[in-house]
Amino acid sequence: MLSKEEITLFINVVKKISTYDFSDYSERSFARRIDKILSDNRMELPALISKVKSSPEFLEKVVKDITVNTTELFRDPSTWQALRFRVLNKFENQSVINIWHAGCSTGQEVYSMLILLNEMGLFEKANVFATDLNTDVLNVAKKGEYKYRFNIDYLDNFDKVINENPFNYEDVVNVPYTKYFQVDQNKDLLKMNDFLVNKPLFRKQDLINDGNIFYTKFDLILCRNVLIYFNHELQTRIFEMFHQNLFAKGYLVLGAHESMLGPVAAKYKRKGLFYVKK
Amino acid sequence: MSYKAVIIGGSAGSFQVITKILANLPAGFDIPIFLCLHRLKHVRTGFEEALSIKSTLPIIEPYDKQHIRPGKIYLAPANYHMYMELGNTFSLSTEPPVNHSRPSIDLSFFSAAYTYKNKLVGIILSGANKDGALGLKQIKLAGGVAIVQSPDECQVKTMPTAAMAATSVDYVYTTDQIISFLKRI
Repeated sequence: MLSKEEITLFINVVKKISTYDFSDYSERSFARRIDKILSDNRMELPALISKVKSSPEFLEKVVKDITVNTTELFRDPSTWQALRFRVLNKFENQSVINIWHAGCSTGQEVYSMLILLNEMGLFEKANVFATDLNTDVLNVAKKGEYKYRFNIDYLDNFDKVINENPFNYEDVVNVPYTKYFQVDQNKDLLKMNDFLVNKPLFRKQDLINDGNIFYTKFDLILCRNVLIYFNHELQTRIFEMFHQNLFAKGYLVLGAHESMLGPVAAKYKRKGLFYVKK
Repeated sequence: MSYKAVIIGGSAGSFQVITKILANLPAGFDIPIFLCLHRLKHVRTGFEEALSIKSTLPIIEPYDKQHIRPGKIYLAPANYHMYMELGNTFSLSTEPPVNHSRPSIDLSFFSAAYTYKNKLVGIILSGANKDGALGLKQIKLAGGVAIVQSPDECQVKTMPTAAMAATSVDYVYTTDQIISFLKRI
């Protein structure tokens, strides 16, 4: 693996020639990403450094490869079940619900949210915003088209969240997934229905430098498995930024194995999987 | 104690071995143990509890940036890669599976090898793929100790055999020998 010194050298070069600053990334996790880029490109570090210096296009590609873009429809179904029965129901009497997916990647969780909102009768009153640093993944998100074959789990997850109620086992419904997306096995395609695709506002945004780019605060911010790539100090800055942009009693949703450490945690009240603005 | 951490990778056929090791560790074992075990994709909960039943030491599925403490057993959480960072903290990652696995043993071993260098013991147990072979090699290159479970004793010997092909391991041990080694360090 690359040493801390090599990683620092790379980060300093990138910082000098662009606006990208990876100084506050988790070091070993970042080293792994660079190792992967080196092996995918069959390169050593000095060659990588000279190529990012000479080619802005290559630098853009490397930055996209550094960011991790894995996501699933209803990833961690228990989180979505709790969102349905413990969180979103609290907003039922509001006239407007503002939701921000920060670091939305290819958008599967944005569509998960829209499906859930529709089932709860909250679709029309919701404003759904979604951002990511990487324009390639945003373009996928905007289309709402995914491979089917490697994502058969999506159908199980859909049933768990939409058709079952973990808090009342007798409460079972039978909503077909075709209400929300179509599967074409020959084309290996899973495509979201148009009324979902047309709803959210997708925008490019840099979580570290841009902050909130929408002229509103939020009832709910989802930022799942994004901040794990940052060190504790940078995580704290982002948690502060989210706090400033949540309405009172607004909810922050993190990934299944993320948590808030240090003094910033006192600004939120932890409720099971969720953080509520105090 | 001359070592600062132990890291164990296992897959098919390793659950009972791990359970036996954890049941026989001395209560005063005062370095952290990292477990990177493959599990069925849908078995996301209950594993920690199952391992805890017989373990003498507490078992934790760490959160991102959680501090690493001595005398605790840390189990890589389902569907995340687990890295050990300088400064005694974890970082987690959801990057795609490596060797069809998330957590990947190789990725955890790589980061542990860098962070603990020659103060690390790496152990590969029974398993049906090659994950961990390159990781154990990296531990060896960094000056750590490389151990594999004796293939004769393994339910599935692919994983220790692959590790032995990738690097010259220090010890080929049965479960009982692994336990007595850990008691000695």
